[in-house]
Amino acid sequence: MARIVPRTEMTLVEKAYIPEIARGLKVTMGHFLKGFFKPESIPVKHYPEVEPFVPRDYRSRHRLMKRPDGEPRCVACFMCATACPANCMTIEATSSDDDRIEKKPSKFEIDQLVCVFCGLCVEACPVDAIRMDTKKMAFAADKRETFKVGLEDLMDWDPKDYPESDIQSQKAPGGTLNAQARKEWGLQ
Amino acid sequence: MIEFDLPFILQCAKFLLAFVPLCFIPILIWGERRGASLIQDRLGPNRANIPLLGGLRLFGLVQNAPDGIKLFTKESFIPKHAHKFWYIVAPMIPLCIAFLTPSVIPWFAPMAVEGAKGIANVSGQILDADAGVLVLFALSGLSVYGVVLGAWASNSKYALMGGMRASAMMISYEVSMGLSVAGIFLIVGSFSLTNIVEWQAAHVWGIVAQPLGFVMFLTSLFAETGRAPFDVAEGDSEIVAGYFLEYSAIRFGLYYMGEYAHIAIASALVSTVFLGGYHMPWLGTEVIRANLGLVGGGLLAAIALLCIWIAYASNRWSNIYAKMNATDAAQRKLEYRVMTGLFSGLAVLLLVAGSALALFVHPQQVSVGGTEIWPLWVNLGTAAIQLGIVVAKTLFICWVFIWVRWTLPRFRYDQVMGLGWKILLNIALVNLLVTAVVAKLVKG
Repeated sequence: MARIVPRTEMTLVEKAYIPEIARGLKVTMGHFLKGFFKPESIPVKHYPEVEPFVPRDYRSRHRLMKRPDGEPRCVACFMCATACPANCMTIEATSSDDDRIEKKPSKFEIDQLVCVFCGLCVEACPVDAIRMDTKKMAFAADKRETFKVGLEDLMDWDPKDYPESDIQSQKAPGGTLNAQARKEWGLQ
Repeated sequence: MIEFDLPFILQCAKFLLAFVPLCFIPILIWGERRGASLIQDRLGPNRANIPLLGGLRLFGLVQNAPDGIKLFTKESFIPKHAHKFWYIVAPMIPLCIAFLTPSVIPWFAPMAVEGAKGIANVSGQILDADAGVLVLFALSGLSVYGVVLGAWASNSKYALMGGMRASAMMISYEVSMGLSVAGIFLIVGSFSLTNIVEWQAAHVWGIVAQPLGFVMFLTSLFAETGRAPFDVAEGDSEIVAGYFLEYSAIRFGLYYMGEYAHIAIASALVSTVFLGGYHMPWLGTEVIRANLGLVGGGLLAAIALLCIWIAYASNRWSNIYAKMNATDAAQRKLEYRVMTGLFSGLAVLLLVAGSALALFVHPQQVSVGGTEIWPLWVNLGTAAIQLGIVVAKTLFICWVFIWVRWTLPRFRYDQVMGLGWKILLNIALVNLLVTAVVAKLVKG
């Protein structure tokens, strides 16, 4: 059923157009003067000099988690690469040095130009090896190859940048827990 | 035989004034960008800097330099289907016009100087023609040739449509522009812009005598210069870009600069015809000449106040920026310190110079062959002050151009034509008729 939307009639002053122009000019001048004399009142961020606020769960650049001994936590199960809707991941597996673990990645490459930052790889990972919590959201390079980040790039992160309350995200190289575990289990 | 006496040298020196509208181009581009961004609650382009003293940015004015370098060094592409000769010639026309049109605008009052053949009168315009403003109208009307020719030579349908629109608008609004300003000619009784300014100095400013004419003239000029809200010659949504669609690099830059030069000249014309030109209330030419020291000193003091405000604003913003935890905090701190120092130093210098002027300069008339005239330096000083007055008024009108552009929504093409032919033209005719009757009754 057709519904008639009543239009508000323009008053005589509005129809004359000129007073309305003056009103518009007043509005824009107000904004101009406010910005001119009080630039801090303008709601802009001085990016990139001033860092914007990025929440921790913002899906940003990936990172690969590490075991306490510095090896990647990834077990090269290909779950992430299978889940990836953009097919941006290239993983090659090799046998792990650790007797408890079957495989580890020898190559783990993400093409960030192809990646759609959907976070499905993070959801798919059974061992919480890949995360997207680096807060890095600006990508710029002069070569396409630079956007293909490998194992070393993905594992190059500083534990200081992550909250201390999250023990999992704090595991950094140099730990001895892995060696202790092996010793206890009589594997060494 | 040309005599190289004083009036001739002054006449030659006046040709430098042809470059005044050109100096407006970078200021206008800067003002348009930053003015637009402030109106829209943005900051605008402010990052380009001179890598010196913490990266001087001069409020974003430096942005013009990289833009110019980019336009000059880019590949200037000529499409295969274009007519090569006219394609190259067309963008030059608007900028050439921009050099010619300021020739009839009076930048200062006529001065009497002593020449080889007695006292000669040197007027404030380069071309002291009786036709005056008609020359300006004729020449600025020519600039649309550059647009149409470029559009035609591009051999592109969209460009041609833009060119056709530009020419249609030119024809429509040139009529109401001429008619709306004709009232002033009737009252003054002369086409010469110097006479118009002298009349305004003796009676009232044109904006008081012809308020309707002023509004209509300004509206016609918005259309004439192809600015919003009448920028139908350009349109990203309908005709891709407009008449300059096929142009790139500096050839596009020539159109761009020609457009801004056109705005500067149009503003100079408005300020001359309707805002009293080089005349300020209570500051007539003779008053300035007799009190050159005081007036000059006062002007320098006003500029010094402006400098003090800039120094204060720089310092204030520096303090605010320091709290933002930016990565370039140290560099910016240095830059703002340099700016504060520079402008407060300039203010002190101007204040000292201004007070020296006010205290020690007392011009006296000299007698040449029985006639009392002012010495040359007084005339030149007055000319400088009056040039400053004209430039200030022109800058204000330029700001009105920018202000209106970022306030009003765009007209549709048929609305533009309707406004031009059905409304503006009729009001202009009635205005002219009433002015004619009143002028006849008053003048007899």
